[in-house]
Amino acid sequence: MLQIKPILAALKRHKAGTVLIALQIALTLAIVCNALFIIQQRTEHLSRPTGMTETNLLTVANRWVGADDKATPSLGKTDLEALRRMPGVVDATLTNSYPLRGGGWSTSVNTTPEAKKEMAHTTLYFTDDHALAAMGAKLVAGRNFRPSEIEWVDAKEFQTTPVVIVTKALADKLYPDGSALGKVLYHSGHTKPSTIIGIVERLQVPWTGTWASNFAENTILIPRLLTGNFGSYLVRTQPGQLERLTKAVPKLLIQTNRMRVIPEERGVRTFAQVREQAYKSDRGMAILMGVVCAVLLAITAAGIVGLTSFWVGQRRKQIGVRRALGATKHDILSYFLTENLLIGAGGVIVGAALAIGMNLWLVSHFEMERLSLLYVAAGVIALLLLGQGAVLAPAMKASRVPPVEATRSV
Amino acid sequence: MFAYYFQLGLRSLRRNPLLTALMVMAIGFGVAASMITYSVFRATSNNPIPQKSDQLYAVQIANWKAEDLDQGEPPPALTYTDAMAFMQAHKAKRQTALYPIAPSVIPADASRLPIEENSYAWYGDAFAMFDIPFLYGGPWTQAQDDARAAVVVIGKKLNDKLFNGKDSVGKTINLDGHDYRITGVIGEWDPQPLFFDPVNTGGFGDPIGLFIPFTRAIDLQMTTAGNNNCNETPGTGWDNWLHSECIWIEYWAELPTQADADAYKRWLTGYAAEQQRAGRFKWAPNVRLRNVTEWLDFQKVVPPESKISLLVSLGFLLICLVNTIGLLLAKFMRRSPEIGVRRALGASRREIYAQFLIEAGTVGLTGGVLGLLLTGLGVLGVGWVFDEQIARLATLDVSLIALTIVAAVLATLLAAFYPTWRAAQVQPAWQLKSN
Amino acid sequence: MLKMTHLSKVYRTEVVETYALRDFNINVKEGEFVAVTGPSGSGKTTFLTIAGLLETFTGGHYHLDGIEVSQLNDNARSKIRNEKIGFIFQAFNLIPDLNVYDNVEVPLRYRGMKAAERKQRIMDALERVGLASRAKHYPAELSGGQQQRVAIARALAGSPRLLLADEPTGNLDTQMARGVMELLEEIHREGATIVMVTHDPELAARAQRNVHIIDGQVVDLAEEPRFHAHNARVADA
Repeated sequence: MLQIKPILAALKRHKAGTVLIALQIALTLAIVCNALFIIQQRTEHLSRPTGMTETNLLTVANRWVGADDKATPSLGKTDLEALRRMPGVVDATLTNSYPLRGGGWSTSVNTTPEAKKEMAHTTLYFTDDHALAAMGAKLVAGRNFRPSEIEWVDAKEFQTTPVVIVTKALADKLYPDGSALGKVLYHSGHTKPSTIIGIVERLQVPWTGTWASNFAENTILIPRLLTGNFGSYLVRTQPGQLERLTKAVPKLLIQTNRMRVIPEERGVRTFAQVREQAYKSDRGMAILMGVVCAVLLAITAAGIVGLTSFWVGQRRKQIGVRRALGATKHDILSYFLTENLLIGAGGVIVGAALAIGMNLWLVSHFEMERLSLLYVAAGVIALLLLGQGAVLAPAMKASRVPPVEATRSV
Repeated sequence: MFAYYFQLGLRSLRRNPLLTALMVMAIGFGVAASMITYSVFRATSNNPIPQKSDQLYAVQIANWKAEDLDQGEPPPALTYTDAMAFMQAHKAKRQTALYPIAPSVIPADASRLPIEENSYAWYGDAFAMFDIPFLYGGPWTQAQDDARAAVVVIGKKLNDKLFNGKDSVGKTINLDGHDYRITGVIGEWDPQPLFFDPVNTGGFGDPIGLFIPFTRAIDLQMTTAGNNNCNETPGTGWDNWLHSECIWIEYWAELPTQADADAYKRWLTGYAAEQQRAGRFKWAPNVRLRNVTEWLDFQKVVPPESKISLLVSLGFLLICLVNTIGLLLAKFMRRSPEIGVRRALGASRREIYAQFLIEAGTVGLTGGVLGLLLTGLGVLGVGWVFDEQIARLATLDVSLIALTIVAAVLATLLAAFYPTWRAAQVQPAWQLKSN
Repeated sequence: MLKMTHLSKVYRTEVVETYALRDFNINVKEGEFVAVTGPSGSGKTTFLTIAGLLETFTGGHYHLDGIEVSQLNDNARSKIRNEKIGFIFQAFNLIPDLNVYDNVEVPLRYRGMKAAERKQRIMDALERVGLASRAKHYPAELSGGQQQRVAIARALAGSPRLLLADEPTGNLDTQMARGVMELLEEIHREGATIVMVTHDPELAARAQRNVHIIDGQVVDLAEEPRFHAHNARVADA
């Protein structure tokens, strides 16, 4: 860093090139920081566990055709019995929704009946005593539903149930001291309490969007099966049986009763497919941003190489003179590295401001969080290193200019 | 002269292959990224019914107290009570209430499985309101609406499946065990976004292939296949729900002139005031009339992914341009001696401008061709990032091809202005000056 | 043909003003072959750049072919350079990316000439300098003498009235220099006006008239011997 002053003087004579490189670094920093941040936000919940054992799990969407609401319980029972009897099936359950499904029932709950403000937002899964086994959810306290507690109910008639199972996240939210088991909760607008008889370690809500992120693990299992035309079967298979059952289950259901529709698209899905489809846009966005970042950094590096090479070519004679006057190869090398560092420093200062500005704009227009300064710092370091790396080749070339260049006329 | 400069430009491309490759790639990638994301943005921000988008209005009314509203906006759907009051008032040229239903078609042939079809329950007016083309027959009549008739309009796909594409008007189909007489078969009708119901479709989806009268669907107690929002428990049973403050119906009015719209809004406000007087609303009238574009905008039909990725891509293009400015500057300044000689030999500044801008144009053109290839690949890959229903709308059509090339050339010319200006400043040179 | 009266050229930097030419007077008649000599830094090259309309001047008058050029804009100056003046540079100044044919074509292109006429003129000019067979070669593939002959062909192709040459043989060996000189003499015999700057007294001697420049002023050996003697004394002292 011994030669900062002469370098600055030289840069003044290459204003355009200097400004262009600095500007490019600044813009690249702004975009890369925000893109990386988007990647992080998008991938963060990609890896969020659902609380279910996701292997060997099959989902089947079912719709009865021409069946009266009052007839559906017996139809559903027949289906469930047939499914549970199938070779290779561990257990099966019926539910209105399940984690990552995309649609479901949400409501707010409270620990007192009259409280006006909601204490927690939560999703409701209407299902039976086979749910925990079929889902592969882990009960950490209390007990499962008893078969006798399961009833069928019309969604429009549903009020409350005497017992519920909740997730640990919801239990802790309602009773932060950890004493939720055996206590009660109220659905908003209702005065009949529901006693918490069991707590599962984790069970995610059906939604993956940002709007659901503040209650992502607030779930209540209701020991009621909904009458009506819609429902999803969750089928847990023995290891190695999933592929076979993916074809066999819908076949069996059609055999059991043909007056139904299992949608062609997304009707029968392994849970791996459910997960893939639920996070498709998140993963796609992360990939897109990743590609943009990579190409962007490559183009910026290439731009620096291009312009610096041009400068080196322009200054061959000058470099020769310096060499003739006793500059070592190392001196020349460090000259160009320092020069780049100075330009880069200018660029990243502007770039950091741009990055934060761009993020603030995104925050105000989209559902996005504030950019962590850590990302800006990492981006600054990455771009300075990128600049140094890019300038290395042309700088090496410059350092190899022989002193005799000084005597050449052109 | 253009041909000459173009030829010089092409030759110059070959001279510094590395520098050229860099610029072409920067332009190509920058333009391709912008075009791919633009193709999605264009599809999602499309006006699905341009000829009538300013005559069709979505109707909203605040039937909930202010605390239950989102930033003071009336809910995006209506109660059955209000929708029926509006239908009966009949204040617009045409009007319809609508909601998605999920009936299954039971084929007459018992060996075939039931068929699921995207379906809506609405009024006969809707077909004319939304400019829906008919292949055979036509919509059902207002009298049939009033009579709660068992009639149906089906789409071409279903008609092909059930009647091998033949004119099926007057024939009967069975939905969930009830027979319906076909009054018409519609042709191609696939507005995207699905402007009449973004609330339940998210804006994009497969074409709708089956329609029955709203009144009939209510009689059969068909629940909505879309969203149902209640701010308080409706009580048990169908009738309680139907007459509750739960919202689940979309409502559209056709108002051909601004005066019609103003009059309708006045009437709507009057209706809300009446409800307030009657004690149903305990708040001042809060109503909205939004035309198609305003409605789609309000419903945020363009996914944030589309906007963000378009923005990031444009930023990317900007960086590529800054990069190109630098590289062009290096490329042009390296040729100062040549410029000096050309000037000495009688080239005016204008001619230097022309030569170098055209040279930049050839770079842009080459970048555009690369960009086109990448855009083609990218459009194929849109399904990786966006929902299939949106991805299928992003296509590489003639206008996008032209836009890609034009954008690449224009962007490069823009980037070339400063370097060319510098080139034109080179003095006519007597001798090669070295520094 | 070329007449400068009381012409001056000042280079200004932030700190100093340097007179490159001061009260400079010269009159070259149509059809003359004038050699301009002088020590380095005397202002020869500045004179030539101004004569060739490559640079503007600070004061005085310059009539080229009867036209006062000081008020002309860039476009008009470009046009005059293109149509009336031919340049021969010491460093040849061929465009390395263009082959011989295309190099000669450059000034004709700017004149907006038809393709057929361009071709005719280019081949004539190359014939003239004996390089017609090398039309498709690139400058780098030619010897220095050949390159200079291409440069001369380029200057000739546009049939300029005035040929300006700056040390045309400066980068050539004796034999090649002789060839180039003979070519210039031939062109002169055909009626062109030639102004040649040179260091070489032998070359200068072959011109019709010698003009000597010292410290930015003309010492015309033919017209003003007295003045020359005065200046020479100054130089001696």
